[in-house]
Amino acid sequence: MTTFLQLTITGLSNGAILALAALGFALIYKATGVINFAQGEFLLIGAYAIFAAVASYGLHWSLAVLVAVVLAVILGLLIERSVLRPMIGESAVAVIMVTIGLAAVLRAIVQILFGTTPRRMPSFIPTGSVSVGDVTLPLERLFAIGLALIVMVAFSLFFTRSRYGIAMRAVADDQQAALTVGISVRRVFALAWALAAVSAVVGGLLVANITGVSAGIAEFGLVVFPVVILGGLDSILGTIVGGFVIGLLVQYTAGYISGGLSQVIPFIALVVILMVRPYGLFGEVRIERV
Amino acid sequence: MTRTHRSAALLAALILLLAACGGADADDGAATGADSPDTEAAEAGGEPIVIGAIFDLSGATADVGTPFADGAKAYFEWVNSTGGIEGRPVELLNADYAYDVANAEQLYSQYVSDGAVAFSGWGTGDTEALRTRVTSDEVPFVSASYSEELTDPAETPYNFVVALSYSDQMRVALRHISDTAGGHAEVAVFHHDSPFGESPLEDGETYVQEQGLDIGYRAYAMPAEATDYIGQLTQASQQGAQYAIIQNVSSPAATLARNIAEQGLDMTVVCLNWCGDELFIELAGDAAEGALGVLPWTPPGQADDLGPAGEYLEEQGTSPEDAGLHFTQGWYQVSVIGEGIRKVITDGQEVTGPNIKTALEEMDPYDTPVSEPIDFTADDHAGMDAAQVWEVQDGQWVSVSDAITP
Amino acid sequence: MATIATGVYHRTYASELALRHTRVEYVRLALAALVLVLLPFFATPYWMTVANQIGIAVVGAIGLNILVGYTGQISLGTGGFLAVGAYTSGILVARLGVPTIVAVVVAVLVTALVGGFFGLPALRLKGLYLAIATIASQVIILYVVRTWEVVTGGTDSLVVPPPDLFGFQFDSNFRWYWIIMACAALAAMAARNLFRVGLGRAFMAIRDQDIAAESIGIDVVRYKLLAFAVSSGFIGLAGALTAHYRNIVTWERFTLEVSILYLAMIIVGGLGSVAGSVYGATFMIVVPAWITQFAQDVRGQLALLSRQLPAIQLGVFGLIIVLFLLFEPRGLNRIWQRVKDYFRLWPFRY
Repeated sequence: MTTFLQLTITGLSNGAILALAALGFALIYKATGVINFAQGEFLLIGAYAIFAAVASYGLHWSLAVLVAVVLAVILGLLIERSVLRPMIGESAVAVIMVTIGLAAVLRAIVQILFGTTPRRMPSFIPTGSVSVGDVTLPLERLFAIGLALIVMVAFSLFFTRSRYGIAMRAVADDQQAALTVGISVRRVFALAWALAAVSAVVGGLLVANITGVSAGIAEFGLVVFPVVILGGLDSILGTIVGGFVIGLLVQYTAGYISGGLSQVIPFIALVVILMVRPYGLFGEVRIERV
Repeated sequence: MTRTHRSAALLAALILLLAACGGADADDGAATGADSPDTEAAEAGGEPIVIGAIFDLSGATADVGTPFADGAKAYFEWVNSTGGIEGRPVELLNADYAYDVANAEQLYSQYVSDGAVAFSGWGTGDTEALRTRVTSDEVPFVSASYSEELTDPAETPYNFVVALSYSDQMRVALRHISDTAGGHAEVAVFHHDSPFGESPLEDGETYVQEQGLDIGYRAYAMPAEATDYIGQLTQASQQGAQYAIIQNVSSPAATLARNIAEQGLDMTVVCLNWCGDELFIELAGDAAEGALGVLPWTPPGQADDLGPAGEYLEEQGTSPEDAGLHFTQGWYQVSVIGEGIRKVITDGQEVTGPNIKTALEEMDPYDTPVSEPIDFTADDHAGMDAAQVWEVQDGQWVSVSDAITP
Repeated sequence: MATIATGVYHRTYASELALRHTRVEYVRLALAALVLVLLPFFATPYWMTVANQIGIAVVGAIGLNILVGYTGQISLGTGGFLAVGAYTSGILVARLGVPTIVAVVVAVLVTALVGGFFGLPALRLKGLYLAIATIASQVIILYVVRTWEVVTGGTDSLVVPPPDLFGFQFDSNFRWYWIIMACAALAAMAARNLFRVGLGRAFMAIRDQDIAAESIGIDVVRYKLLAFAVSSGFIGLAGALTAHYRNIVTWERFTLEVSILYLAMIIVGGLGSVAGSVYGATFMIVVPAWITQFAQDVRGQLALLSRQLPAIQLGVFGLIIVLFLLFEPRGLNRIWQRVKDYFRLWPFRY
């Protein structure tokens, strides 16, 4: 039982981080229809930005997060304007490749600036653990779950209550209709990228706390795909649920079966979902059949 | 828009033309992939000795590969700046192969065809894949893979394992655990998911059985993309493991140590040589306290006098602690090749692969400031046969035993 | 718009279908053939390995272009299929002693079958979903390769001895060059001919308007699966050639990065064109090789370059893709066409 609980807590915390990373991806896809293969690299940049601010410039961590968020927003806007805007209307392959190329450039920049040696993220999340019965719950992980949930709740509120949030949903639904009603699609696109960058900063911070600051953070980005497919690309709630499900799945597999399989299981789940229910748990039915 | 398109197209064509010209120039037979030595080799005037080397600067083991490469390259720079080996400069052909076996093989072929008489390799996977070619090419191969399979001259006459083999390190660890546990000990072995990681596993199990040690032994793979090892640790704690022997490089080992600490598990980490370094301590932080390590190479801060490596670092203004354990390891490991070549020249022989091999086997035990004496014989290409066990105390590796021979 | 040379008349269907119509085109072809034949006698060993790599990549790129450029399906699973081809051929030769040519043929067929199987998701999915499904296929194939130790040897490298064909031992770059170039030429001709025939046209119809294609009687299910199979066959050939040329097969050679590299080749070269595949493959392999070369040459003045070489290679790779897509999404093929048109139309602009 304790094993199960242990794995569950770890799985939920990893899942929360995955959900955060996937959130940015789903945001961009929903609003602009672009498949952002550079999401992992956004996480990477977020983590390194905070690391640099705290370790090299000695900023207090809250300030560092703020600086990183501002940088991420600027980066997101810049990318949207210079790289993605000209690609509107191009084929899906072209857009995918552009984000892949972008990912390579971002990773290279990080490598040139910071080198390949892994670093330790200066810890400002309380360490130590809480014991509930036989189960040890590391505070770091509980904190991660909590923070991720807060961010996601904030996003949900943004989408349901604020004007820009509703505007984004409108654009995601039907660009032309949104234009007719007077919504600035350009602004919505820019906003989508900026928000995705912000969620990536928080996600990157949480990942870096667990694995250290290194290029490995970008690998996290690949697992985002099973998450969004499982949850359904059209739904924020689906992304969150998908994140938790995949996180738990990975941990249970690692704990009860084998470590190697746990890395592949998200993709096997992905294939299964695509075969059975391609629009995910919460998505709209929009897939074509031959 | 057409104008922008056209000028962009012309610009692209120009770039392509330049690339083609660059390619054409290179076709004029320049030594490619070569890392030519510093021009301060003015004192060395003899015919250059060509040595090939591959390093991992950007691949899976880059965290330890980079300081190692720095140390190895520094050694040859120093050799050239002090008159070469018996007056002959060394030309080190080297490149980053990113821990990719096929890259390693390609670079090896290239350097050997460019005249390399000795080779400094890196990873277990590529060293084992190149074994047969190394033998048929008669090129002495000293690599950072301490796999026991490479120590038998009957199988691999041209491979030399400078430090204590992984299997021997495992045996030392098991012996130490058996001696200090006071009763039954459960051991979980966490290893890199590759030939490097699997190298000592079987030998460890056999040793437990042969020696009749009261040890429970189980292996767990650490997949490369994993961000934590909670799953494996859960299984290990069900096994009742009290010791976690880690055959992996520093970064994943540190993550494992931190996972152990955060889960509140009562497991002592035992690092084998590739995670027993300052990087492990830095990344694991408090979780590293009390960890044990089988270190064939002395941490630079603990050695009394680092010899020429220490002088070199002083000139560069870097402290040995900053350069790291793997820097001095890289330096002294490739210096073994240098010493072999020196012997060949002082014996009046031609510098060829087979002669270097014989010289290495006939050399007197070579004493370095950071290890046990290194000695090869015609029957045994294992350079060391003992190592001390160290422990992390107050963020430093401190020796807690004499040299243990497994 | 590509311009057509004036003064070209066709009186028979055969002459209209011909691949080349004007004397200039034949002259260019002859020049290219001459360069290819003379290259191995003048190139250094390093550039010979590069040439051989390009040859193999051309085969793979053509295969991928058939799927992505001509049939409009996205595939990020190239690495996995290369692995299937390489391991099949390698295992047959190294473990079972099958003659090399037979092994290669079997590898091609096996990869085509596997490719057809992994093409099943394409029947239901498009765009992003298909891309993600192919990534999943890539990851799963690699996992199988790494864990199915009985067959593939797991994470150990598979050593394949150099082949012995027609009495020659093929263990040098020079000898391999001829085989690889022959395969590349055959692949190019096969692909070109594929698209002069009904099968190829069906593929293109699926890319352009698959619903309309269905309505004029093209069985989209059958032809999509065939597209995956044919494409994977080519890629399997490239994989098998790699196994025998390199003599060492490891799973690290077939990761997602390789899939992305091949996709980059055909995008940079030009989707939907065999010549584009050749240009793209050449470009994406020569540029990193040239950068490494350049870094060595300027090592004295710009040591920074050589120290940061891996990062710079990565950055340049990304930059090439982004810049090409921003400024010339139709790739090198289109750029070359523009150059030809410029000279053809000079002094007029269009």
